[in-house]
Amino acid sequence: MSQHSPDLERGGALSNPLDFLFQLLEKYPIHKNYYLRIFVQALLTIWAVMSITFVLVRLMPGNPVDILIEQILTQEGISYQEAYDRVAASFNIDPDATMLDQYWAWFADLLRLDLGESITSPGTLVIDEIARFLPWTLFAVGTGLLLSFVLGVALGMTMAYYRDSALDHALSLVSSFFTGVPNYIWGLLIIIGPGISWQWFDVGAVRGTYDPGLKPGLTLEFLASVIEHALLPIITYVLATLGGWMLSMKSSTTSVLNDDYVNVAEARGLQDRRIISAYVGRNAALPLFTQLSISVGFALGSGIVIEEIFVYWGFGHYLFQAITVRDYTGVQGAVLILTMAVVFANLFADLSYGMLDPRVRISGAK
Amino acid sequence: MKSTETDKNPLLIVLGLPLNLLLAFLRFLDRLRANRAGFIGFLGLIAYFILTFVMPSFIPFDAEVNLDEITGPVGSRIQLAVRAEDSQLRNFEDLAGLRVGVVDQTGGPSLVAPYAHTFTVEKYRWTSRRAGPGIEAALQDLADGEIDAMLIFSKTVQGIRDSAENLELAALFENGDIVISNPGLGPPHLLGTDTQGRDIATHIVHGGRILILTAIIGGVISTGIALVFGSLSALFGGTLDSVLTALTNLVLAVPRFPLLVVLAGLIRFNNTLLLGVMIGLLGWPALMRAIRSQVLSLRERDFVEAARSLGLSTNHIMFREILPNMTSYVLINFIFSITFAMYEQIGLLVLGLAPINDYTWGVMLFFGRSRGTLYNPDGASMALSPVLAIAFFQVCLVLFARALEEIFDPRLRAAV
Repeated sequence: MSQHSPDLERGGALSNPLDFLFQLLEKYPIHKNYYLRIFVQALLTIWAVMSITFVLVRLMPGNPVDILIEQILTQEGISYQEAYDRVAASFNIDPDATMLDQYWAWFADLLRLDLGESITSPGTLVIDEIARFLPWTLFAVGTGLLLSFVLGVALGMTMAYYRDSALDHALSLVSSFFTGVPNYIWGLLIIIGPGISWQWFDVGAVRGTYDPGLKPGLTLEFLASVIEHALLPIITYVLATLGGWMLSMKSSTTSVLNDDYVNVAEARGLQDRRIISAYVGRNAALPLFTQLSISVGFALGSGIVIEEIFVYWGFGHYLFQAITVRDYTGVQGAVLILTMAVVFANLFADLSYGMLDPRVRISGAK
Repeated sequence: MKSTETDKNPLLIVLGLPLNLLLAFLRFLDRLRANRAGFIGFLGLIAYFILTFVMPSFIPFDAEVNLDEITGPVGSRIQLAVRAEDSQLRNFEDLAGLRVGVVDQTGGPSLVAPYAHTFTVEKYRWTSRRAGPGIEAALQDLADGEIDAMLIFSKTVQGIRDSAENLELAALFENGDIVISNPGLGPPHLLGTDTQGRDIATHIVHGGRILILTAIIGGVISTGIALVFGSLSALFGGTLDSVLTALTNLVLAVPRFPLLVVLAGLIRFNNTLLLGVMIGLLGWPALMRAIRSQVLSLRERDFVEAARSLGLSTNHIMFREILPNMTSYVLINFIFSITFAMYEQIGLLVLGLAPINDYTWGVMLFFGRSRGTLYNPDGASMALSPVLAIAFFQVCLVLFARALEEIFDPRLRAAV
């Protein structure tokens, strides 16, 4: 016991950096900080998913590296070494490195957001491709989600206020319809009905993201064309997600309506309109904002089939093309974007809930 | 004393079980009838069961390629339009050596191939607003003698005759320049025919079984994994809980459908049921979280507390105390997981990433899109029929599951 003099203890702590770290953590307990912890968790999740993708692509039956080398050999008749070098370059692989070294090199590139070159079209960077396709999907999906959220909240509150009336039953049947029918089925119905049979619009003319002759820019003509081309996907997203919002808002409103403060507000003789907007609506919509931010993350990938059906050149279209031509670096990059969207959307939901709802701010930050 | 003896009589238990189940089912039906939408969904599911599992035994799959019954509007017939002086031409045998006009998109090259050696095929585009020689041009060519006969749908002929805009074409029929030589050719089809002249209604009857089975396999696997992982996680806690929760978060981090698209693109499944297994293996995490929190909350209830203080085993607590309280919840989520599996596999089929060796509703959609009938009002039935079959099946499942939710969830029942 006697050898544990204070002098020695200090010396030991300084000589061992780990102990020093622990002492620092004890003094400033940042590891107990809620926000920091969920942020680090988010980064870890992305890292894990990307590492699994890295291994998966290399261990897949029919190793993509070998397949590509063979493809290049048969197509272009160059030497094996040349073909190997080309493939290695596009995969960001050092040919002589072990798998572990390859992993570190790839990881370092990933940290710099260098996703490598596209395999099937050499010279194009995956990150540039994604930057080219992603905004269109963000625009269409974002608009669609926002519209269906606003509509769904309004209809859901209506259902809760008039519950058990004929209106409620009709709306709940409608919401079952919207929920049940898959989004691409809505898309196909839009094409078959208004598009082809009734000829309300020309299916061929609204393909792509804007009219081919136009120059991108902030002109009225260009913006109108962008909206015209995105309209069908947006309508489809609204139809496919509306039912969920209606039902969530209905049950959320129903439970808020039973709360004491609503009864008190009614007893105080407040105007109905004020009760609906400030007391019921605000509180009932709160949990839905969390759902909204989570579904933004998932929405990015849900449009693959819709973008194929409408031939809308967005992110889903890029991912599908990358898969069909077996552009593995492209697929890797797309999976990264999808994962980041989900993880950061969840993170945002966690963080924003405390800010939106003062009641959970204190307990949430623990 | 007497009653306890009869209660334990094994024969009575064996005989009583089916009766009790029947009574419980009847009670359940009674409650379901009160929920009209749910009852409609239930009846719809029974109808789907009959359609996809019973009717295939009675209605044979129409696999025969028929040139005289190519894609047409519902209920229409394909007819042979000829000049008045050629009205002796009635069958395809009569057409040997002649030039026959075919509207391209409705039939396409695959259709004409088996007959192409007997007569010359002149293709005409189906016209929408896009330019190109269409039905109008074909009929004009027929009247002018450029071609000898023309395959055309009865509905299209009807439309041309009744047209107020295209009087010139209507006049061709009015004046008897062009006649339909075989008004009775080919039986009418309930849902029309596809690009190869096969009956779509029989394809709808046969195209559901494998889809539904695959979806059920996916649902069973994902619900099963969610149930096992969720309850293990909640009951044992500790490291097991941390590991399973971390795994759940990891799988949840990649959106399901795109991940499935990537995997299906890399692996290229050749077995539909295997695809169902894959869908099940990816579909459990969200439900696992829900079941974990259910078990966690049930674990704190008084009756479980009582069982634990009596020293009953974890097995007993799980299977006798907790599981029976979650049956309806698990059942409802099982139905929802079937709808997800259905959504995913048909999405893959539409993209062409799932096996197309069974001719299912999804494969009909795939061909409807890739062969262009989707973009042709005459051929819409080939895509529209499976679209409606899928849509109503999903809606029936959702209606039924929501009715179950209202019946079994006392919180909802009190609120509604």
